[in-house]
Amino acid sequence: MSDTINRRLGPLFWIAVGWLVLISLLALLAPWLPIKDPDAYYLVRGERPPYAPSATHWFGTDQDARDMFARTIFGARVSLVIGFVAIAFGMLVGGTTGVVAGYLRGRTDRIVSFVFIVFLSFPSLVLAILITALLDRGLVTIALTLGVLAVAPVGRLARATTLSFAEREFVTAARAIGAGDRRIIIRELLPNVVIPMGALALLGMAVAIVAEGGLAFLGLSVEKGPTWGKLILIGAGSRELEKSPWIAFGPIIILFITVLSLNYAGDRVRSYFDVREIGL
Amino acid sequence: MQRLAASVMLILAVSMLTFGAMNLLGDPLFNILGPAAADTKPESLAKVAAAKELYYLDRPLPERYVRWLGDMVTGDFGVQFGSTGQPPVSELVKERFPRSLTLLVMAQLLAAMIAIPWALISAARANKPADRISTVNSFLLIAMPNFALAVILKYVFGIKLGWFPLTFKATDPWLTRVYQTFLPALTIALPAAAVYQRLLRTDLITTLQEDFILMARSKGVGRQRVLFKHALRPSLFSFITVFGINTGTLIGGSLIVENIFRIPGLGSAIVEAILREDFPVVLAIVMIITTAFVLVNVLVDAVYTLIDPRVRR
Repeated sequence: MSDTINRRLGPLFWIAVGWLVLISLLALLAPWLPIKDPDAYYLVRGERPPYAPSATHWFGTDQDARDMFARTIFGARVSLVIGFVAIAFGMLVGGTTGVVAGYLRGRTDRIVSFVFIVFLSFPSLVLAILITALLDRGLVTIALTLGVLAVAPVGRLARATTLSFAEREFVTAARAIGAGDRRIIIRELLPNVVIPMGALALLGMAVAIVAEGGLAFLGLSVEKGPTWGKLILIGAGSRELEKSPWIAFGPIIILFITVLSLNYAGDRVRSYFDVREIGL
Repeated sequence: MQRLAASVMLILAVSMLTFGAMNLLGDPLFNILGPAAADTKPESLAKVAAAKELYYLDRPLPERYVRWLGDMVTGDFGVQFGSTGQPPVSELVKERFPRSLTLLVMAQLLAAMIAIPWALISAARANKPADRISTVNSFLLIAMPNFALAVILKYVFGIKLGWFPLTFKATDPWLTRVYQTFLPALTIALPAAAVYQRLLRTDLITTLQEDFILMARSKGVGRQRVLFKHALRPSLFSFITVFGINTGTLIGGSLIVENIFRIPGLGSAIVEAILREDFPVVLAIVMIITTAFVLVNVLVDAVYTLIDPRVRR
């Protein structure tokens, strides 16, 4: 965000991290927390749902009188898992191939780079549409689809970072004392590549969470249970927005704060360690 | 030239993958005939045979692929599965593609119209309070998911203020439809404008430190004139590149935004087609989007070499 290197993470960074920890804990512990049942119908005699936000229903209820706050928290479980699994997969596959390609160079590098380019020149949303339309819409499928999409951007960064370190003196020194390829990659290169990757992981998780929302609006998100995207979709119709805007706006606020925190934290980590700008 | 060849290869590879996957993982016969496809009654069997003959489903997959590709290149996207008697895919594409294109062009125009003055103002007041506020704003806009922004704009301008209609009527005159496209275009334009503004602002600040700017200022050229006449043009290179590349990315976003604002473009067409498992339509739209995406990137490269002679080797 800033143009100069800032050697302080700043209080806002810790607020962002605090929010991320809070929402993760809420999602993780949701079944044991004293919140309402996300699938129960809290109908009130003589009044037609949806009910506006109140002391009993913090975010109001949807048309079926289900508690929106509970649904948003339970939606976080799915959305966060998708974000986490997707970027973990991207890191594992993209990071490994990127580092190996950057270290070995030659033919391996050419093949890997070509595959990355092919993936990057494909509109990613279309690929996601294809895979989810053809396979099932389970949690694992969606998370891994987004993970596959993360491979190329992550791999490209890992490769570029590895290339910049592979010629440095400490690598030559390690080779001079007889270290093998495997040892050099794991002990010398990996620690240097991990930091920029960490910043990218935070940004990538935000991208994956938003992508789930986008898929939901195309009717292609996880079929079972609430997700943030699906909750917003339900409240986004013209009639729903006019009569009961809280249905969409509760999840939107939570989603936005989470994505903003991920972006901000990633951005701070990146400029803290002075990582060069790499587009995602 | 090499890039163009690579692009053609890429489009071909994508078409093969999509075609193969669509045909292997689903049963197109079932979509044409419904439950009758699995029947063993003689009249159903006759129907199945007729449909196979009509849609070339009895031929091997590679032959069908070549036929389909040949048709595609000549602008015939095949017949639509689902219910018989519907218009062929080409008609559907012809009807819906211009709407998506209008949306995208409008969005990019709006984005440029917002980004350039915004960048000029922030660059002129670099690191002063006004610039700080604009930096925070663009950070917020970039983090905002497009569907969330769509819902917010729809709520504020469409429902609360009632400035824009929320229905899209194909029968309305051209100008009305453009007016109806404004809100979805703005949804796509705002985050894009924020990205462009960040980039252009940085480049402008760099340019403003060049000697020829100092020269112009010392000759007595006013601040505004220096900004517009001297600094803007040399700062536009990376803006133009990203503007082009981003067009491809925005195609994806516009599919989602179309669905929220109920614009019957390609975005809603692909959703309907997926729900019906209507392969020719899904295939056609995927191919159109991919081709557009790849072509835009090739075009950006070409334009880039045109405006910046340094890139030429």
